[in-house]
Amino acid sequence: MSVWNQLQKNSFLESSARQRANGIVDNGTFTELLGPRDRVSSPHLPVLGEAVAFDDGIVTGVGLIGKRPVFVISQEGRFIGGSVGEVGGGKMVATLKLAIGAYHQIKEKYPTSYQGRLPAVVISFETGGVRLHESNAGLLAHAEVMDQFQDARGKIPVISLIGSKIGCFGGMGFVGAATDLIIMSEQGRLGLTGPEVIEQEMGKDEFDASNKALVYRTTGGKHKYIMQDCNFLVEDSIEAFRTQLAEVLTLSMESIEEMRRVGSQKLVEEQLELVKLAVELDPRDSMDVWKYFGNESPAILPELSLTDFLKQAKRRVRKVEGGSVNG
Amino acid sequence: MDEVESMIGRGREAIDMIIDADSLQEGIIGEFQFDPELGPGAVVGTVTIGGQPATIIANDADEYNPRFPVVFAGVIGLEEGYKMALAVYRTITVDKEKPLDQKRALLLIVDTPGNGPGKIEEIMGMNKSTGGYQLALAEARKAGHPVIAIVIGRAISGAFLCHGLQADHILSLSKEFGTMIHVMPLTSISRITKLDIELLEDLSTKNPVFAAGVNFFYRLGGVNEVVDQVEGMRDAMIRHIDEVRELKRTGQFDKLGPWGRGTIGAERGGRQTRKMVIEKMTEEFDAVADKYLYA
Repeated sequence: MSVWNQLQKNSFLESSARQRANGIVDNGTFTELLGPRDRVSSPHLPVLGEAVAFDDGIVTGVGLIGKRPVFVISQEGRFIGGSVGEVGGGKMVATLKLAIGAYHQIKEKYPTSYQGRLPAVVISFETGGVRLHESNAGLLAHAEVMDQFQDARGKIPVISLIGSKIGCFGGMGFVGAATDLIIMSEQGRLGLTGPEVIEQEMGKDEFDASNKALVYRTTGGKHKYIMQDCNFLVEDSIEAFRTQLAEVLTLSMESIEEMRRVGSQKLVEEQLELVKLAVELDPRDSMDVWKYFGNESPAILPELSLTDFLKQAKRRVRKVEGGSVNG
Repeated sequence: MDEVESMIGRGREAIDMIIDADSLQEGIIGEFQFDPELGPGAVVGTVTIGGQPATIIANDADEYNPRFPVVFAGVIGLEEGYKMALAVYRTITVDKEKPLDQKRALLLIVDTPGNGPGKIEEIMGMNKSTGGYQLALAEARKAGHPVIAIVIGRAISGAFLCHGLQADHILSLSKEFGTMIHVMPLTSISRITKLDIELLEDLSTKNPVFAAGVNFFYRLGGVNEVVDQVEGMRDAMIRHIDEVRELKRTGQFDKLGPWGRGTIGAERGGRQTRKMVIEKMTEEFDAVADKYLYA
């Protein structure tokens, strides 16, 4: 069996950034750009006496799904928590820029038959956001990524895969939220302020970060699925993520835009309705919200297998379909 | 320089110093009126500056949000983020039919210590609020609105990312005003990274990529201009609105916003590696592009 075939059965959670990057595109099609062989590492870590990585903890490159070039960004949590510094941030920005460039080239080359060939961007998040060791560069890079996202709007889908150990938090938490479409596993976690930081800032009474069940109820894949803060919930394997990814790539850009959470006035107004609900409901726990959305026995949801969960869970009903690009 | 009075916590006073006298129509953008209860930690409205209409978005450190107790002292909470985003979209709508060079400016007065860290915020997905505001600003910027931010006090981490770092140009009062631009205090960085505090203190006096403060951020291209007197804020804002408008009129969007800050940073000697990374990746992709684009 080929390495790629073996990778498909791998737990997404346990896989390295490079395994995820290779495994989510078609067999043998992934070419890493600025890989470890280039030895481009952070110039800022050695002054702090810290070890560097020759990929700076982010794997970037391009592969194919069918005839579509898929530009991949895959973060490695095992290197300084997947944090984003100058090099890693530059790699993310460059990948997005290349994908947008590829969109224009393909449309020019295939003026009538470009549909099945348009590029996509896939980001496999595993990060707490800005790398504190080079925080100013990290901040500026986050802003650049958001800027590229807006350039990509309505042209190429930007898709998040979230199912790795560190989750997707800090500045990268809103970067994830700003993508077109989010695929998560139950083990994936997405948020702005990580559990430890909430506990640190607000006290253990507000949030007990050592309570794993609470952490998953608040930021985990099942919660995000019920809230419509992720679009698809899949099993914890590279194959499951890849299959879902390949399926959404068959959708039109318009349908993909409709899956957004934010990015237009209508969507912001829809989210403000949710904020009103937060005030009315004053939830002490995510389960209060699950119940409100029609889940009579919310306590059983975390225990259910994925198949049973997907059958039984009632999700928030979306009021607005679709965010369109203004102006 | 003599002792100067800090502007921290004085967002509303800063608005008055910058805009044409008594021109603030709070909570109104075009025909749209904001619910006066919504997001009290953020001030939004229509002003004139140099006789031209503009939208103002500022933090209000004197207000707290009775519905979301994490919001006080200028924190951008769930409601505030969406309120600010809505102000941007309303602005785009009001000027929808106007030609590029007549799109009104958006003025961001920045003095925020952070985003709301709380359980309800996470349950409801606070990341959408801050992310949504950034996309709105990016859209306005690309539609031709000059977006000018000025840091008058605190510009901290994620809150600065959402309120400031999507602007075309960023100005800042000088460090004598006690302005703060950073991700977190050194003590917290030391605790999380387990790096020696003395090493960090030393680095924070000389390394622009790590160090906190306006001057270091300037060297990275993160701040376009440092303003050293409050009396200078208004003229500087007007000058940057004009500069940005002219760059957009002549199609030079690449010199503005986050991407433009990368270029300016490289010119000022900061973030050299970023430039190399982008060039090298482009080169490597070009070598294999045919295989992927024309499969």
